[in-house]
Amino acid sequence: MRTHKLILSASLLTTILLGVTACKDSSLLEVKPRTAVDSETALKTIEGLDAGINGIYDRLQSVVLYGRDMLAVSEALGDNAQFTNKSGRLANENRNVANNTFGTATSSGGSWLTAYLAINQANLILDNAGTVTVAAADTARRNSYQGQAYFLRALMYHDLMRIYAYDPGVEVASQNKGGVPILLTGVSDQSKITFPARAPIADVYKQIYSDLQSAITALGRSNAYAVAPNYANVQAANALFSRVALYNKDYSTVVRYATAAIAGSIKLSDNASYVGGWRAPKQPESLFEVQFAVASENIGVNTSLQTTYTTLVRPGDRGTTGGFGDLVPTTAFIADLEAEKSATGAVLDIRRQLYELGTAGRGTAFIETTKFLGKNGTINLDNVPVIRVSELYLNRAEANYFLGNTADALADLNVIRTRSGLPARTATELSGIALLNEIYRQARLEFGFEGHRWFDLKRTGKDVVKATAQGGGLAYTDFRILAPIPLNELSTNVSIRQNFGY
Amino acid sequence: MRKSLLGSWLLLLLLALPALAQDVAINGRVTSSDDDSVLPGVSVQVRGTTRGTVTDATGSYRISAPKGAKLVYSFIGYANQEITVGTQTEVNVKLVAGAQSLDEVVVTGYGGTVNRREFTGAISKVTGAQISNLPVGSFDKALAGRAAGVQVTSANGVPGGAIQIRIRGVGSISAGSDPLYVIDGVQINTTNNSTFTSSNPLAFLNPSDIENIEILKDAAAASIYGSQAANGVVLVTTKRGKAGKTAISFNYYKGISDPIKKLNVLNAQDWIKLRTENLVNAGTTPVNSLTNVLSTLRLPINLSDADLAALPTYDWQDAVYKQGQTNNYELNLNGGNEKTRFFVSGSYYTQSANIINIDFVRGTINTTLTHQINNKLSIEQTLKLSTITSRGQFGSPNGGSFLGAAAFSSPLILPSVPIYNSDGSYYGTPALGGIPGILNQNIVQVSELNTIRANQNSFVGSLALNYKVNDNLTIRPFVSMDYRSIRGHSFSDPRTADGVNVRGRIQDQLNENKNFLTNITANYNKIFAGKHDVSVLLGAEYRSDINENLSTNITNVPTSDFQYANAAALPVSIGGSWTGYRKGSVFGNVKYNFNRKYDLSFIGRLDGSSRFGANNRFGFFPSVSGAWLISEESFLKGNSTVSDLKLRASFGTTGNDQLGSAFGAANFPGLGLVSPGFDYNGAAGFAPSQLANPDLKWETNETINLGLDFGLLGNRITGSVDVFQRTSKDLLLPFNLPFTSGYTTIARNAGEVQNRGIEFEINTVNVRAGQFQWKSSFNITSIQNKVTKLYPGIVKLNNPDSTVLLSYTDFYGVGRNAILGRPLQPAYTTDYAGVNPATGRAMFYDYAGNITYRPLTPRDQKYFGTELPKFYGGFNNTFIYGGLSLDFLFQFDYGRRSFNSQTSFLAENAGRNFNALQSFYDRRWQKPGDITDVPRAYNANVEPQSVSNIGGTRTLEDASYLRLKQVTLAYDIPATIARKIKASKARIYVQGANLITVTNWTSYDPEFLNFGSGNSGLVPNSKTYQAGINITF
Repeated sequence: MRTHKLILSASLLTTILLGVTACKDSSLLEVKPRTAVDSETALKTIEGLDAGINGIYDRLQSVVLYGRDMLAVSEALGDNAQFTNKSGRLANENRNVANNTFGTATSSGGSWLTAYLAINQANLILDNAGTVTVAAADTARRNSYQGQAYFLRALMYHDLMRIYAYDPGVEVASQNKGGVPILLTGVSDQSKITFPARAPIADVYKQIYSDLQSAITALGRSNAYAVAPNYANVQAANALFSRVALYNKDYSTVVRYATAAIAGSIKLSDNASYVGGWRAPKQPESLFEVQFAVASENIGVNTSLQTTYTTLVRPGDRGTTGGFGDLVPTTAFIADLEAEKSATGAVLDIRRQLYELGTAGRGTAFIETTKFLGKNGTINLDNVPVIRVSELYLNRAEANYFLGNTADALADLNVIRTRSGLPARTATELSGIALLNEIYRQARLEFGFEGHRWFDLKRTGKDVVKATAQGGGLAYTDFRILAPIPLNELSTNVSIRQNFGY
Repeated sequence: MRKSLLGSWLLLLLLALPALAQDVAINGRVTSSDDDSVLPGVSVQVRGTTRGTVTDATGSYRISAPKGAKLVYSFIGYANQEITVGTQTEVNVKLVAGAQSLDEVVVTGYGGTVNRREFTGAISKVTGAQISNLPVGSFDKALAGRAAGVQVTSANGVPGGAIQIRIRGVGSISAGSDPLYVIDGVQINTTNNSTFTSSNPLAFLNPSDIENIEILKDAAAASIYGSQAANGVVLVTTKRGKAGKTAISFNYYKGISDPIKKLNVLNAQDWIKLRTENLVNAGTTPVNSLTNVLSTLRLPINLSDADLAALPTYDWQDAVYKQGQTNNYELNLNGGNEKTRFFVSGSYYTQSANIINIDFVRGTINTTLTHQINNKLSIEQTLKLSTITSRGQFGSPNGGSFLGAAAFSSPLILPSVPIYNSDGSYYGTPALGGIPGILNQNIVQVSELNTIRANQNSFVGSLALNYKVNDNLTIRPFVSMDYRSIRGHSFSDPRTADGVNVRGRIQDQLNENKNFLTNITANYNKIFAGKHDVSVLLGAEYRSDINENLSTNITNVPTSDFQYANAAALPVSIGGSWTGYRKGSVFGNVKYNFNRKYDLSFIGRLDGSSRFGANNRFGFFPSVSGAWLISEESFLKGNSTVSDLKLRASFGTTGNDQLGSAFGAANFPGLGLVSPGFDYNGAAGFAPSQLANPDLKWETNETINLGLDFGLLGNRITGSVDVFQRTSKDLLLPFNLPFTSGYTTIARNAGEVQNRGIEFEINTVNVRAGQFQWKSSFNITSIQNKVTKLYPGIVKLNNPDSTVLLSYTDFYGVGRNAILGRPLQPAYTTDYAGVNPATGRAMFYDYAGNITYRPLTPRDQKYFGTELPKFYGGFNNTFIYGGLSLDFLFQFDYGRRSFNSQTSFLAENAGRNFNALQSFYDRRWQKPGDITDVPRAYNANVEPQSVSNIGGTRTLEDASYLRLKQVTLAYDIPATIARKIKASKARIYVQGANLITVTNWTSYDPEFLNFGSGNSGLVPNSKTYQAGINITF
């Protein structure tokens, strides 16, 4: 009896011990994640590609890209804006304090990190899209995803080049450390990680050209799946091409692609509808804008574009204070908008209507831009235009000027001037450098607070002239014209060279 | 596999050994040496076996034991006694109430207990009595200063809020450093899943239900818990029933709490002057500056000097800091007979913080039952139910610079801003443009109108069956469940700043954690040839832990009367998540004692966990330890000076698997993952979020411990000294990847951290004269922490030190640097050099020690100390005179350096529209020749061609403190009087906590945890006073 019990209990224990150790070979210790999927299988279906593409656009929504910094930090660094110190944000950027630039306020990786995350996602789509077997009906859809991936990759390389490298033709040779690393293969496991050096500037432009050509080809065959302005589309790709070529001082290409884009279905707004267009959720001129459609995409009260630019919550209502209004036009910028007046002294430029006095709720009231006012129905929720039709005319005007086609240049300039309520100029009134300066001036006024000015100064090699309160400006040769490569890149990749001065 | 087979064979072998000796039946009575009262519930055990019984209500027992065997009598609070069984059949024993000595019983995990005399590991013990009636929401907070090697820090002063315990330093870089908590055998999940309030999963337990707490510190003590034991183990044993007349005990106390400190900030006049000075110094004309300041304050810009002088100052700290209240009601029943014993208790505890609308309410019911089914089988059951409702502070549970957070904003709001309008309504509501200044929210309104609440319901239950196979062998299957649900609710009132533009926001959280554990252990005990005492523990365990979360965020309510989600019109987001892991283990412990002098112990544990990569799923954690009881040697035996002396040594490994974060475990760190949530334009998207590392494995600690336990002068002086070296290897590091790879990091086992330390504990009876007694206990721990390895290939920083630095986000969400060769949690910054007396500009030292206005990073950065203390400890004194006792505990923490992020705002000296500390105002540079450490006021704090004047080491402060943690005065009412109310015992007491704090820290409270925002916006700890009564019938 006693022995019996002993054996019974001993074998019970043994069984349990064996059972537990057996886990090694069984699924007892196997737990699968339920809120994420294995990266090996994610992009093997057409639905997976769709989700993957959305994942890239999601990166563009980041504060360090089109959520704020591509626009607001660009304005802070440039000469259109002054900081108000209402939350303290963008004050250092506005004073051009070194290391305070794109993405650095909210991420140690700068805008660099998010752009490369997006590039890797685009690379993974392009690596996988070709191998996904789809029904015949879905071929166009697949082409569209490929085309969008090319477009988005081109946009990211373009933005990286604008931030971290000199633009072609205006390199400061003694300080030039090249372009940015080019990665064209997706990383899905450790073995695929590479440690590339910064490619020469020309090579990066070659790659952007190639991506845009691929985008135009692929999107041209499947336009139904990539609808403007929410998603990349042929007209937007042509437009971006004209801009990239302009940065590359490749003027005939600018004219070709600007002309192609102008021929597209989205047209320039006319004088009567222009200001109203800025009150609509989708800017009617936008060829591509980053959508902030649903509440969960709201960047919120601290760093959205609305809170950055204005204290207002709706035009003309100074009684309710919304955001911080951290970055507002300088008096010089407003004066420039008001420079041309009618005989009765009224301001002619209708774009002045996009600026109005903010509230005193957070201190002194300033004139603020109202281009971003929670137009998607909720405060701080605005779509962000990346490229608009107006730019095409100004790109083409500038290119034609350099190609010597001043008549064409003047014609395009006058399209923008007359649309803005300003009188057309004649060739006698505007010629030579005055014509060019007027093209630059119109670009500055047209794209005020849309993030163009800093990059336009930079690509043309101009000094940035600012008042002492805004840091006193900087010469074009100043090292702060380029943003620092994130420290992480230098510590993880010996091939990367930091920009001069950092 | 092979190992466990071996184990079971060994077990079979042991089973086969027959019991041969002849038994003698013995009975007797156990009494207390204090007053000769009978002692029920004393354990009487045949040494070297599991055979035992307990005394009944009359203190009597009956047991049969072999001739020559030794009977061990043990009872909590009394010294053990041993009697050798001879021919006598009646053995009466008097137990001596003892201070901590080598004779006490130590709980060692998995149902095991051992006489401290034979224990080979490093352990600290705190009794329930020491921490009872302290006004704390959870018992861990009460451990501060009481045990060597144990550092206890409250995250903040939120009642029932988060606590951190560090046993022998911090041994992990990016993984968790929290000990394993085992309460009555239940391994508790301590992940903090509460989104809206600062919560502590351990708050479910009423501290008064605790019998004692053991803290296992070295590998010899802890490695039986294997992969969870690297950060030490805290074993909590709750009170058990004692056979005899049912005792009903009632305990009540009531208390109040006051803020430790208020900050001295500027009045309206000084602030206007200072802010104007900022603008003038930055180039604005004096007239325009004053106009600008007055218009910011929304005052008429043409105020005369007399008007200015007459401006009132409003004290926002007074408006939000309130006296807190504490109430505690407890009732417990305790009794039973030889077969069945029970302990049932209920409690209701409420505590409000010093800041309006932050409080904690808890109800608990706790039952434990032990029942002897027959002489072979007994069961032990525990069930602890609790429900907690707590209200937390606005913004984030762990502080932060939130405009509406009372703790953050109250010292910073501009002093001329009124709190209420003359009609009593809130001044400066969002509808009226908010209050002037950057902090534009009326924090009284925000605190009073918003609701931030969490409901934590938990049950922790266990059932164990003890099957006594024979005198030598017990088999014990055990099963437990640790269930916790958290219902969080946050309502942003449409009248407050965060609600006004969305017409109110309602956020809800439902989090459920199910932690199931089962194990089976076998205990074998036998003495061979009278002097070879062998005991063997073998066990197997399985644990499954699952967490599910549901969260909703919805806006737009009709009016503020509607505070639940069905009333809101616009859903913003809905989140759901699931995570879980499983673990399977086998473990064993062989202990050998020779002749009561020499002890050896071997422990091995094999753990398998679903958390780890397929290539490294299993980890083996062995330890070996020994002890030599020198005082048993003939040359010391009977020595009147050295009454006890024991030398201990141990070496072993333990593991750490706390991956992810304190607020959500990462259970899949080795897999390549693509995560959802990267949506665009209302359509679902995903993105790669993690690269696979199939080689991922546990972090491993190797601990060497040398200890000496001593008792001098008949144990009037007892204590221990331990030196240890804890080397934490294979630390999980975020291996930084070039961002161009599309990832930021990959998790790899690469780091190494060393903690070397010495611990000293001493307990003395200083005076014992008649009815008067004075006892002291003191402990101190000094630890040197050092990062000894980061992964190779980190490019050295471009500075003269060529610092190897790795930035990472730690388990608690704090972005930190690890510097090779330096302690963890370093302050790495530029060196503030004071103020140029000629210009008032802030100066810094560059790498070469030269003055610069623009220090460069990383060139001029240096190491300036760590947030880890150099040493810490406690000093407790007890004076007893008859029924009167006075107890006070000092706790100290020295050498911690931390950025004072709350003070940092106050140090701006109105560079932005914040109020400033009076001391900074008084010390600021004003004219050439001023020698001071506070730069001149300058708008936005950055002078041209300079860096911020509040940067570098300027706000790095010494957070050392000495605190009178507790004072208790208690009076035991004489039995003659107590009997008049039919009570057997009655006690009244008054108590104070945190009464005195000595520190150089310039903000509220030097005791805090950095969860990413430093100390800004933290609710500080309180001073508390309470009085209570405890009656037992």
